[in-house]
Amino acid sequence: MQADIAATPVKAVKVTFTAGFSRRYTDSIREFEVQAKNIRGVIRAMNELFPGLGETLEEETSIAIDGVIHEVDYTQPVKPGSEVFFIPRIEGG
Amino acid sequence: MLTNTKDIEQVMKVVGTSPVRPDGVPKVTGQAQYGADYSLPGMLWAKVLRSPHAHARILSVDTSKAAALPGVKGIILGSDFPDHPFDYVGPERVAQNYWHMTRNIMAREKALFEGHAIAAVAATTLAIAAEAVSLIEVKYEVLQHCIDVEDAMKPDAPLLFEDMITRGVEPAPSKPSNISKRLEFSVGDIAAGFASADEVVEMSFKTAAVHQGYIEPHSCLARYGADGQCELWSASQGHFVVRAYTAKLVGMEIGNLLVHPAEIGGGFGGKTVVYVEPMAVLLSRKTGHPVKIMMSREDVFKSTGPTSGSSMTVKIGVKKDGTIVAAEGLFKFQAGAFPGSPVMNATMCAFAPYIIPNVKSVGFDVVSNRPKSAAYRAPGSPISAFAVESVLDILAKKIGMDPLKLRLKNAVKAGSPTAWGPKHSHDGYAETIQALLDHPQYNKPLGKNQGRGVASGFWFNGGGESTASVHINEDGTVVIATGSMDVGGSRASMALMAAETLGVPYESVRSTVADTASIGYNHVTGGSRVTYATGIAVVEACNKVIEDLRLRASLMWDTDIKNVVWSDGYAKPVDKSVGNFEPLSLKAIAGKRAVTGGPIGYEASTNAGGQAPGFSTQFVDVEVDPETGAVKILQFVAAQDVGRAIHRDYCAGQIVGGVVQGIGWALNEEYIYDSKGRLSNAGFLDYRIPVASDLPMIEAVLVEVPNPSHPFGVKGVGEANIVPPMAAIANAIENAIGRRMTELPMSPPRVLAAIDAG
Repeated sequence: MQADIAATPVKAVKVTFTAGFSRRYTDSIREFEVQAKNIRGVIRAMNELFPGLGETLEEETSIAIDGVIHEVDYTQPVKPGSEVFFIPRIEGG
Repeated sequence: MLTNTKDIEQVMKVVGTSPVRPDGVPKVTGQAQYGADYSLPGMLWAKVLRSPHAHARILSVDTSKAAALPGVKGIILGSDFPDHPFDYVGPERVAQNYWHMTRNIMAREKALFEGHAIAAVAATTLAIAAEAVSLIEVKYEVLQHCIDVEDAMKPDAPLLFEDMITRGVEPAPSKPSNISKRLEFSVGDIAAGFASADEVVEMSFKTAAVHQGYIEPHSCLARYGADGQCELWSASQGHFVVRAYTAKLVGMEIGNLLVHPAEIGGGFGGKTVVYVEPMAVLLSRKTGHPVKIMMSREDVFKSTGPTSGSSMTVKIGVKKDGTIVAAEGLFKFQAGAFPGSPVMNATMCAFAPYIIPNVKSVGFDVVSNRPKSAAYRAPGSPISAFAVESVLDILAKKIGMDPLKLRLKNAVKAGSPTAWGPKHSHDGYAETIQALLDHPQYNKPLGKNQGRGVASGFWFNGGGESTASVHINEDGTVVIATGSMDVGGSRASMALMAAETLGVPYESVRSTVADTASIGYNHVTGGSRVTYATGIAVVEACNKVIEDLRLRASLMWDTDIKNVVWSDGYAKPVDKSVGNFEPLSLKAIAGKRAVTGGPIGYEASTNAGGQAPGFSTQFVDVEVDPETGAVKILQFVAAQDVGRAIHRDYCAGQIVGGVVQGIGWALNEEYIYDSKGRLSNAGFLDYRIPVASDLPMIEAVLVEVPNPSHPFGVKGVGEANIVPPMAAIANAIENAIGRRMTELPMSPPRVLAAIDAG
């Protein structure tokens, strides 16, 4: 499934969800390709595919961009070909 | 303390040393003010009435006699708090349901565990408040209860919530149960993976609920003004989170609540939530007086969150060469009386240290009639690691492989897959194993009834939101402020990073923790996030200060800022062409602050990402007394990848502390309930945490594989260390006496029973 939202098409960003998350929110589809330059673009693209999902992603998840874990932050850049994995947000002790 | 340093290119002058902590002298001389140390004129004392029953419907509460007692100024019940819609809000692992949370603070329809708060009284003295509590008449309908997680999951178990439908199951169950949630992470083909294994071990385990054991009971002081402005003094792991929860639960705007951070006498995760604060604020609002609440130790055990007890089954398959080909785990966790155990963490962390192509990890969050669980150091990970690391030990023996080498063969590194999706992005685990393989004591011969065990552990570490400010005083000394509570030496680590960045002595930096009105938002001191995230904010604020100092020096030298560099605590000309200027110290520039733009100070905020996980590998030598079953710890060596040690002694202290708590978890600590669901050991005489005489010197090995996302390479150090001890000790006991212990604690009666079972 693809969402084309970037003004300048570039190599797509691969977006992946956990199996449990995809069952609840994305019709069990775990992988998507979107055009985006930052996390704001990724979230906007996913929200266009699944209205309301953007808020869920912002509130419930952390992200791993090419394996490096970040908090969800609009300005976080993603490179063409990056793998963006939305994972459950972790809180420690 | 050994050090294994890899790829550290930066040469540090201050970072990595071990100066005295800024809060050290006040704490050892008794001058530091903890939550219970605050008082105000006209202050009332509050006492809480708690349920004597594990599970009971509250039919009526009559406070008339209590209210008539001279000196009583106010009484609150659960119904005095605003109610909230039933809704899970926020990240799945820690989703908050304020309908639950307000009922955890004070019961409404039902008392769900012994110690559940029913009412609170504010009076002029503590004795009057206590007498008033005894005069409150509550009529209960006592209900059947369930304590153990397996019992609570049975179809005919008494239900805590008659309408709880398990989340995460499709189609949704048609009947309610005590199972709040099911979750699953999987990758690969489990059946094919096990079919390809040469050896498979499957085993079930149980662990007991254990308390964080912080020495300071929860306490707070609230003053609610006639103008609706409220101040709260509270010992917590995050005064901004205390502010948010309390404001929500009493129904006030966050801006009207100012929270002062009292010193904290230990938290370990257990003080990331509120218990007494909303009660104190509500009583203060009702009475017009400041109100103070202090829990007793019994209150702490009976009504605050331990971490979960569990029931688990783990199955792992390996090739003869030690390659792990498949792993499967079933993790059932006690959530306590309300949903929210750390079972998701447990399922994610269970197999995280290993490259395994086929993994399935299933978790259940189950309510029962015990206090709601709260975070405890690497929440969930130590529990699942006890099962996984025990099974790995059995497999190592089956294939005749050194247990450390088995782990090293399968150790994750940057690029390795995880069961929950993204690849690992950092090294560090293999280095902790190698540190122990290189340790001179690892192959030391053992005596009779002695055994050696190893285990490893994983924790995510954290980033997130932090704010820091840096100001230069008139004499060139430095003040830094953060909103991160200092639980484990963060004042010192922040001062060290500021001193290193500014190029000034550590002693010239005063490091403080500011209240919620004096600094921007900081998330809790937890998740091993503060040295990382708040440290980034401190360094960013220092860098802003440096830019300003260069600008001011350029004004004093009538040159462009690009001709000024900051080096070793001085502004210097970039080269001789700029002019023959003597370097300007902080003091010299601060002396000219008024004519160069006014006070020098900056704040920086971040939502820090890029955190790197922590790995710990440990070995322990034990001696088992075959007559009593008592286990003596002879030697404990704990290696942990800390990224970069900012304060070496405090990093080592975190590791030693985690190991000690793990030893208590392994050998003695447990909640013991009687047949009526009442806690039998709600005190430190009967709930036995380790004391110094139980312990040998514990050796911390600081492995440093820097995290490139942090200015100094920090990864976090507070939690991974508590993950391996329980399994390491179980493995050592098995090595000593040939008995596999599968249930915690491995207390003398339980070990003796295993010996006698033959």
